[in-house]
Amino acid sequence: MVLAGTTVLVALPALLPGGLLNASIQMLIAALFACAYSLLAGRAGMLSFGHAAYFGVGAFATVHAMNAVGGAGLLPTPLLPLAGAVAGLGVGLVAGWFATQRTGITFAMITLAIAELLHALAPQLKGWFGGESGVSAMRMPAWGLTFGSTTEVYYLTLAWVLASVGLLYFHTSTPMGRLALALRENGHRLRFLGYDVHGLGVAIFAISAMFSGIAGGLLVVSNEAANYVVFDPGLSASVVLNTFIGGVGSFMGPAFGAALMTFFSYAVSDLTRSWLLYQGVLFVLVMMFMPSGVAGLIAATGRLVGRHGYAAIAPVAVLVVIAATLLSAGSAFVIEILQHFFSQDYRSLARMSGRGSAILLFGHAWAPAAVSTWVWPAGLLAAGAALAAVARRRLAALDRDPRPDKPGAAAQADAEQGVP
Amino acid sequence: MDPIVVSLLNGVIYGLLLFMVSAGLTLIFGMMGVLNFAHPSFYMLGAYFAYTLQPLVGFALAVVLATLLVGAVGIVIERWFLRRVHRYGHAHELLLTFGLSFIIAEAIKLFFGNYPVDYRIPKSLDFAAFAIGSQQYPVYRVLMGSIAIGMFGAIYLLMTRTRVGIVVRSAVYKPRMAEALGHNVQLVFMGVFGIGAALAGLAGAVAGAFYTTNPNMALELGVMVFVVVVVGGLGSLEGAMLASLLIGIVTSLAVAVDRSLADMLAIVGAREWAEGVGGLMTLKVSSLAATIPFALMLLILLVRPTGLLGDKS
Repeated sequence: MVLAGTTVLVALPALLPGGLLNASIQMLIAALFACAYSLLAGRAGMLSFGHAAYFGVGAFATVHAMNAVGGAGLLPTPLLPLAGAVAGLGVGLVAGWFATQRTGITFAMITLAIAELLHALAPQLKGWFGGESGVSAMRMPAWGLTFGSTTEVYYLTLAWVLASVGLLYFHTSTPMGRLALALRENGHRLRFLGYDVHGLGVAIFAISAMFSGIAGGLLVVSNEAANYVVFDPGLSASVVLNTFIGGVGSFMGPAFGAALMTFFSYAVSDLTRSWLLYQGVLFVLVMMFMPSGVAGLIAATGRLVGRHGYAAIAPVAVLVVIAATLLSAGSAFVIEILQHFFSQDYRSLARMSGRGSAILLFGHAWAPAAVSTWVWPAGLLAAGAALAAVARRRLAALDRDPRPDKPGAAAQADAEQGVP
Repeated sequence: MDPIVVSLLNGVIYGLLLFMVSAGLTLIFGMMGVLNFAHPSFYMLGAYFAYTLQPLVGFALAVVLATLLVGAVGIVIERWFLRRVHRYGHAHELLLTFGLSFIIAEAIKLFFGNYPVDYRIPKSLDFAAFAIGSQQYPVYRVLMGSIAIGMFGAIYLLMTRTRVGIVVRSAVYKPRMAEALGHNVQLVFMGVFGIGAALAGLAGAVAGAFYTTNPNMALELGVMVFVVVVVGGLGSLEGAMLASLLIGIVTSLAVAVDRSLADMLAIVGAREWAEGVGGLMTLKVSSLAATIPFALMLLILLVRPTGLLGDKS
């Protein structure tokens, strides 16, 4: 599984056009950031709402390392994210020392405040953060490579992301990684057992900040510039959303979620201006209906298949997919029509012509006041809801039906359908 | 002297505004253990609702209607969102309200655009209340302050002097026991959530006209409000009041200070060293005003981790 994934990632540059390769770099960076975040928020149960701070610190440390020694760079280009790691670790130690004084909700508020502190301070300190225009740098050739092409940057990013994710995975099996789980489950008991809870919290916080710093450094190596926008609360928010959409229950869930969300934001950036709204809605849906995220959904499907067999699950799964598609199509239709209707361009156009003009969407002109326009989303939503209800009933019927629980029944059903 | 008095007054009124939002937040936290991340979004919703209704029904009625509407939104969120995820624990509830605040901000951007809207105080309220030295003091600020004080008085009396207040306090203290005695604790929770949201909405409807009304106002104020509740101690109404005023006054005074840390260090003869260090040292305090509340919060956490008036650890 790991090998197959790695092979695909290594082969990507040969398969993808340049624009998509750039998007893949962003996806890898987002995946690493989400993994680092999930160590803190998922495994250790400390919700941070200001993780952009450590990402940003790593980014700026890297850009200054690139510019150091008269532009020659403090380190050879492939090692530059190390600067981000060191800066992230250092700032993470200080911030973590403050934040882990408290647990739970107060912890979350402190991380938010620290991030806002940096966000408010950064534009003022022009010497460090370059003011509005930011700081730019150049990738220098090193180790016989020029780092001029996107492909070389992709491999550099891939190597760092794989190594970092590998280290984070290794961390989960170390004693400290196990203690992180204990900290999440019951900090008091851990203290009674004689562990230094505050020290442990600071260490986990700092490690998470360090890998966030590496992610920030990789972004700078790829963009050759850093701007104080990296401290934006939006970045902190997106890593929270990505991580929990992916699902903190499994190790790769957050990375998967972040890569998926980054890909979608890239893919739909030309189509819609409301991507963040969709992302927020998706997050709330995940929180309300499948708290274990996309990874949890996949695992649950796997369990269902194991219990009832492919043949019984496949029709329900198809139903669910169709229902979800219909529902999201209907919602997207409504949101997009509203977005166009309330946009400034449309308003001024309508004011000039004196009446509401048609909205061009999905290659068709829709009159916002016409009933025929709203029949479409209403129909899509109704059909989706009906299908979802049917799917739910069939799933419930499956759970009641004792037949597939008999040994061999699932295999027999598979055989009937010609599934090996 | 006069500018300092004006700054102080402005600070007190900004603090009272912070209190209007943080009061609901800390009340809800004290009761349900939920830190409602979407609370500052209620403030923003209040401003936008009032802005939308103002041309239709006039300013005063728009403020009242906006308050009620935001209260209704709060009730919907408690009843159909928070209650669903209650069994997954507080962290989950925090994340859900975080997602809701995100959606509210994006929905506002969708309907009203990602720029400030033209929500202003009505002409009839745009005059000076009194003069301090040569400066005219706007009556609207006084109005905002008195609304906040009136609200504090009303909550205080409601909580300490009425039967409803007794039920609410008992539901906070021992929810199971209150339920066993025949009180509908769920309804109490829903009511308090709705009232807290309405208060934030009222603050937004009133203050949005004076300050700017834009899609970032929830985040900007929200961060301050979270600082207030951490500094004051989570769940403490008096602490929220104290911390609101403290942060309001400190921010307001800092804006007026046209000196840098290096100037202050000059008193002990360390100016040259400070200027050599550069960075933070040579920045004017006024340009650091936005960061001072956060620094203050970290300082208070160092010396008193539970906040000024908090006792629960």
